[in-house]
Amino acid sequence: METVQTKIYSPFVRAKDSTRKVMGGVVISLIPCIVFSYLAFGYIPLLVILVAVGSAVAAEFLFSAFFLNKKDSVKDGSAIVTGVLLALTLAPFTPLYVVAFGGAMAVIFGKLIWGGLGRNPLNPALVGREFMTVFFPAIMTSGAIWFDKSQMNYIAIKPFSWFGESPFIEYLNTLFFKASGAVGEYSVIFIILGGVFLLVRRRISWHIPFALLVTFFVLIQIFSGFDPKYSLGGLLLGTIFMATDMPSSATTNNGKLFYGAMIAVVAIICILNGIRYEYMSYSILLVNAFNRPISDSFLPRVWGQKIDYKKRLIRSGILVVAIIASTYLVILLHNLDAIRYLLFAYILGTIIYFVIRGYDSKKS
Amino acid sequence: MMHIFSAKSKTKKEKITDLKDAPVFYIPMLQNIGTPATPIVKVGDTIKRFQLIGEATGHCSANIHSPISGVVIDICPHPLADGTVVETIIVENDYLNTEIMLGAEKDVDLKKMSSEEILSAIKDCGIVGEGGAQFPTHNKYDIKDKEIDTFIINGTECEPFLTADYALMNEFPNLLFTGIKMINKVLKAKEVVITVEAQNKDIMDSFNYLMNKPEYSNYKVMIFPDKYPQGGELQLIKSVTGKELGKGKLPSSIGLIVSNVGTVIAVYKAIVNRKPLVERVVTVSGDFLQGAGNYNIKIGTPVQHIIKELKLDSDIENKGIVLGGPMMGKAVSSMLAPVTKGSSGVLTFKKKEVSRNNCIMCGYCADVCPMHLMPMKFEQLFRRGKYSSLAGFSISECIECAACEYICPSNVSLMESIKEGKSQLKNLK
Repeated sequence: METVQTKIYSPFVRAKDSTRKVMGGVVISLIPCIVFSYLAFGYIPLLVILVAVGSAVAAEFLFSAFFLNKKDSVKDGSAIVTGVLLALTLAPFTPLYVVAFGGAMAVIFGKLIWGGLGRNPLNPALVGREFMTVFFPAIMTSGAIWFDKSQMNYIAIKPFSWFGESPFIEYLNTLFFKASGAVGEYSVIFIILGGVFLLVRRRISWHIPFALLVTFFVLIQIFSGFDPKYSLGGLLLGTIFMATDMPSSATTNNGKLFYGAMIAVVAIICILNGIRYEYMSYSILLVNAFNRPISDSFLPRVWGQKIDYKKRLIRSGILVVAIIASTYLVILLHNLDAIRYLLFAYILGTIIYFVIRGYDSKKS
Repeated sequence: MMHIFSAKSKTKKEKITDLKDAPVFYIPMLQNIGTPATPIVKVGDTIKRFQLIGEATGHCSANIHSPISGVVIDICPHPLADGTVVETIIVENDYLNTEIMLGAEKDVDLKKMSSEEILSAIKDCGIVGEGGAQFPTHNKYDIKDKEIDTFIINGTECEPFLTADYALMNEFPNLLFTGIKMINKVLKAKEVVITVEAQNKDIMDSFNYLMNKPEYSNYKVMIFPDKYPQGGELQLIKSVTGKELGKGKLPSSIGLIVSNVGTVIAVYKAIVNRKPLVERVVTVSGDFLQGAGNYNIKIGTPVQHIIKELKLDSDIENKGIVLGGPMMGKAVSSMLAPVTKGSSGVLTFKKKEVSRNNCIMCGYCADVCPMHLMPMKFEQLFRRGKYSSLAGFSISECIECAACEYICPSNVSLMESIKEGKSQLKNLK
């Protein structure tokens, strides 16, 4: 009966949870947005979502099978989440081959090139979106992909009109449904409800959305003389589903507050400098890049120890300066129409990283 | 801290019963934090039950006595549950149970007993903390000139499945209260606090009539939520007193002593019955109902014997056996590994492959970490071989409660990273 096994570590019981359940929760929270995209433009946005998901999953399977020697990596469901999130930021009439390109690039250059699930410093869906903008600039900036009256399913849905008629009720109706903007932005109320669902299921914490929205609206008030233009649906979609992406956002509670606030600061700077559409993706991607130093600067207070506030103040001050400086650099590149060179540098950099790290995903 | 499942109802109401003695006992000389005891018997010696066979050596050490009578058949290195090999006295049981007494059992007149007498009885009887840490009890109670405000009796048995402490409190409240009184003769604490978890608050039915006695007027029972690791010493101290004691500092430095329920009852037996610590209550439980219960098991009983005696051996190849709790216990690497003074449970689980995924940085591990650390960083740095950076994230403060890996949706190997990371870091120094 004497058997000696290799060392096994505790614990011997585990919570009934899995990455698949985490991803499943995100998909469930996005189902209302998908339904509303159908209400707005019928099957066309559904096709966009389907193609984005299909291309993301296919890219995940093929790339991991060939380069990472993993045949089951699609099982965690993260490619589905990336696909859906990407589709929700796109214009409803985006040509499907461009969508397919975006889905594949999101998974490959957003996630897998870094070593797979959880290792990505940037939000994969937004990386995919930047690829589309850079490689298909004419299509992505054309107004035609945003609206087609002939394809409209419902022009308006007015559940609140039951309570009467007033400008405020009309406003509530547009929060419930408004067929303008990207695929995922048609119902502000259901974006928020999706966020509440994730909060209740503890898949996101309140820190990032709270800090982001409070900072955003306070700054908007301060700079209201500039008459800033922004889309509430886009802001909330980015805040709730993009800025909270687990691998690419800060991991400590205080870090999350700082991180959320800085996204708002960057977004406002972008808006004030005339960036009309890309301010959410720029701000989230830019602060993503600082996520690890942010987490390391805002470590929780270790039991029985004190926080070195002086050190924390200095470190966060340096981060604020670095983030704002980078923001102006991005704005400069944007105005020079040179964002594509930033992406080319990213592509080159990640490929070199991937080759140096080797194909072994364990090391990255 | 975090919510955790309970699974205590399987064994909570089971009466403590004696397990039939094993034919051969494996009595390790290291059953305490500190230095091992030195064997004082030779191979071939005939020994009696309660006879001193290993003598405490050095400042922080504990005596070891024979739980049975028999013949010493070997003194050799032998594995503990986790595979650590320590010097072990192997005794063949003669089933005669001839006893040697440390002194005559007598009515103890507490008033006449001095602190020194109580401390030396505890030392002679080889008592160590039964909660798992196995800290020599006489060292803990030797407070010199320190003043103790509160004596905390840890009845918050926070690991799932375990009910050994509950069973003791439920069946022997008298021994517990008298034991506390004896110990407090040494500690002179102004206040005594017994802690239990909300799920075990029915223990008050057994405590109430004692609590009403004037001699226990400074005793208090505190009920805490069913959180893990509520029974961790530092977490318990915070819940009772509001004080946050840093890891590595002695509770006595802030006027506190914390003892496990089983330890207190062992002290009672040492003083009143003059019996050394040679047996303890162990919860047998896990995924299977067969044999589940609370048993009085003699120290040195090999796991193999418990498995056989309680008929847990069907389909044994597909079972994993754990000595201790499911969170902090050790996977039994050898079936001949013995029960020690710190073993609170023998648990059997269905063997299943743990599918491990990449960390997704969800931060759940940091949320539940009772020491407010960043467990995901330990895995990240350990995987990359950056052992020296582990210190920057305070890895030494980790109490290895395993809450992080319990909650992890990706089943990241956090505990391996932490335990191996700590030893790698030590090697660097």
